[in-house]
Amino acid sequence: MNITANLIPALPIVLSLLSAVMATAFSSRLQRRVARLSVTFSALAFAATLVSLALYLGRGSVNWIGSGLLWGSLYHDALSTIMSVLVAGISLVVHVYSVRYMAEEAGYSRFFTLLDLMTAAILLMVASGDLVTLLVGWHLVGVVLYFLLGHDISRKAAQRYAFWTFFTYRLGDLPLVLAAVLLYQAYGTLAFPELFIRLTAHPDVTVLFGLPLPEVVGLLVAMAAFARSAQFPLHNWLPYTMEGPTPVSALMHAGIVNAGGFLLNRFAPMYVHTSSVLHLVFAVGLITAILGSVMMLTQNDIKKSLGYSTMGQMGFMFVECGVGAFSLAIYHLIAHGLFKGTMFLGAGSVIGDARRHDGVPHDDVYTFVVERQPVPSRMPWVVAAVITVVVPLVLLGLSHWLVSGNFVSQQGAVILLFFGWVTGAQLLFATHRLRADSPLRLMSMIILSLAIVVVGYTLIEHSFDYFLYPDRAISAGLYVAASVPLGVFDILIGVLTAAVVLGWVATYYTHANREMFSGRIAKLRLMLYSLITREFYVADVYGRLNQIVLTISRRLNMLLRWV
Amino acid sequence: MLAMLLLAALFLPLYPLSAVHNALFMRLNGLPRVLLLLIWPQIGVSLLYYAPKLIPAFTIPNEMVIWATASAALYALRLLTVRDLGLWAAMLASSALALGWGLAANGSSEQTLHLFVFGFSVPVALLVLLANQLTQRFGAAYAGLNGGLAISHPRLSGMLVLCMLAATATPMFPGFFSMLKLLQILDWGFGLALLAIWLAWSWAGALMLQGFVFGTPSMSKCGDLRTAGSLAYVLVLLGLSIAGLILMGGSL
Repeated sequence: MNITANLIPALPIVLSLLSAVMATAFSSRLQRRVARLSVTFSALAFAATLVSLALYLGRGSVNWIGSGLLWGSLYHDALSTIMSVLVAGISLVVHVYSVRYMAEEAGYSRFFTLLDLMTAAILLMVASGDLVTLLVGWHLVGVVLYFLLGHDISRKAAQRYAFWTFFTYRLGDLPLVLAAVLLYQAYGTLAFPELFIRLTAHPDVTVLFGLPLPEVVGLLVAMAAFARSAQFPLHNWLPYTMEGPTPVSALMHAGIVNAGGFLLNRFAPMYVHTSSVLHLVFAVGLITAILGSVMMLTQNDIKKSLGYSTMGQMGFMFVECGVGAFSLAIYHLIAHGLFKGTMFLGAGSVIGDARRHDGVPHDDVYTFVVERQPVPSRMPWVVAAVITVVVPLVLLGLSHWLVSGNFVSQQGAVILLFFGWVTGAQLLFATHRLRADSPLRLMSMIILSLAIVVVGYTLIEHSFDYFLYPDRAISAGLYVAASVPLGVFDILIGVLTAAVVLGWVATYYTHANREMFSGRIAKLRLMLYSLITREFYVADVYGRLNQIVLTISRRLNMLLRWV
Repeated sequence: MLAMLLLAALFLPLYPLSAVHNALFMRLNGLPRVLLLLIWPQIGVSLLYYAPKLIPAFTIPNEMVIWATASAALYALRLLTVRDLGLWAAMLASSALALGWGLAANGSSEQTLHLFVFGFSVPVALLVLLANQLTQRFGAAYAGLNGGLAISHPRLSGMLVLCMLAATATPMFPGFFSMLKLLQILDWGFGLALLAIWLAWSWAGALMLQGFVFGTPSMSKCGDLRTAGSLAYVLVLLGLSIAGLILMGGSL
């Protein structure tokens, strides 16, 4: 039983690797049938992850599986099992999709080999039980992704953006290496369980300039996560990876780019002992969420728009970590991975359908949402506003009170509730003027839908939190680590409320009085629009820095006569 | 003691003494080049550990580590604009081998340093052999001259990718574990420099691959690497990885 329990978590990685080796070794003999081989192994790997999850649920406790060396261990816990199921599942779908999608492309067997290697690298990363194994997996994901994105070797754009991605990933690898070295120097162990035990026992260790170790390492780990998950200003590679094959985009947006959220969760026991890193994570996430969403709205290319949407979603994921809701970030990345993967794999069909017919449904929803033709107001504006503001608040408050009575004592939970409340209010306010035969029935259905979403979401999220962090002290400690002094918190909430209300008022006046945005304000808007369409000139700055470094290198070589 | 240090710096190459190694490398061709890469730095290591027997007070001062790090950084930066694969390999060797001084100054055993040097020399030597193969086929091993090898010469490009990954300290190759070992024993200031050097290697490696593996395939009719030849490269790299995992990975 013990041997089986130790072998099962390693099986998905071994199967993916074996598939890659066999696809390479027998590519000339199997020809196109190499895809079948790869899909079969991928299905087996997925099945193995399900067995591994069942094994974990059956046992109910974590299992650290050593390799006999100082590294090469696996960690069989809730985080690794759920991430393995997600990765192997998405990989299987992408494998199946690629069988026909890539059939006309050159390097068919090479593509499946790389896909298998990528799956193995991600699975190794999420299941790693020590710092070095994590580094190996983390590093290999970036390397294999470079070759996958550049699969179409004759497309210059694909090469350029594959290189951007590779470079950003390498940039992100380095802080993680430094973090691993600092942790090993301080605690003398590489294995995660032992490391976190020692860290919890001695969190006051200091490193550079007497700074607290958890704070420094927390920052380094966060930096690695920022680069991997396209956080501002390390985001500009993400939208351009669309130059790679569509199945790779799906795998990347559904599984690879989420690695930042996974990494923060892996180091969650360390973040309990930090005091300011999570605030930085929150700020970076918020900026990324806003910029990603804004840039998404200015795109006219469906895939690039999806790319920026991913950037925005990753921003929200970091916001969740930044307020201490680490498990929510994992829940988010799973949900996002599934829907974004579906969107990418369906993007081609949508574009194809749109070329054949416009696909405009001409129903009430389309008239209201796209053509922006609401029915004349059917109830007083103030009454509508009160309903839309109060109902979501009551729903959110009740559902959270149901699962946890003291939720308002956690600042992070309050911030998330605030976001939920604003979103719910906006949804109700936006839809109350939708054309319908029975307005009362429509509003009831909208409120019922919102109630189902809110209650379902709250229950699932709380269960998920218990699943990921059975040790409740970690979950509670993360909220404490993310909290700020009460006065600052009140000001923050006040500023957020003012921003939201001002946004609503501005939107209302924009629709009511379009002339307001003429003259100087129109010029300002145009400038802002130009800035957004140029993606805030971040890529231009990097391009210039790149040129400077290459010029120095060239001049040095000429000066030193190439020896 | 200074003379001994300088002699060692000639063989375990530090700039400007490394110019001798690189100039010699450019004058040679074929197997002598490979032997130079494999043997030359090992002499440097032997000298470093033989010196205390001649001069009992022999120690490696911290200034040598600073010099070695600066030399490694200089070559890493210069790598970014080198397009000739042979010269690129020699410069990468100059950059990587200089880091061995950090190990030596921090009390690593002679065997560890020999292994460190070997772990970096072998992939670089394989790159030199591949540069020869490219020169035989295209007249020069120059990035950007004959691209698209992944389509026209899949085995050759595959080996080029593997050797490049091994040479730039990618996991599971010994260089990766050597870099971790160095980071573990050096001060954080050297550590940061080391990370920047590592980044430059990867950057330069990717640029080099873009010039060979990617791009529009040439119309050249010359054949690909033979299966037996590819297998030999794979076996050497596999052996190197396994040895690296056991010798370096197991003793971090």
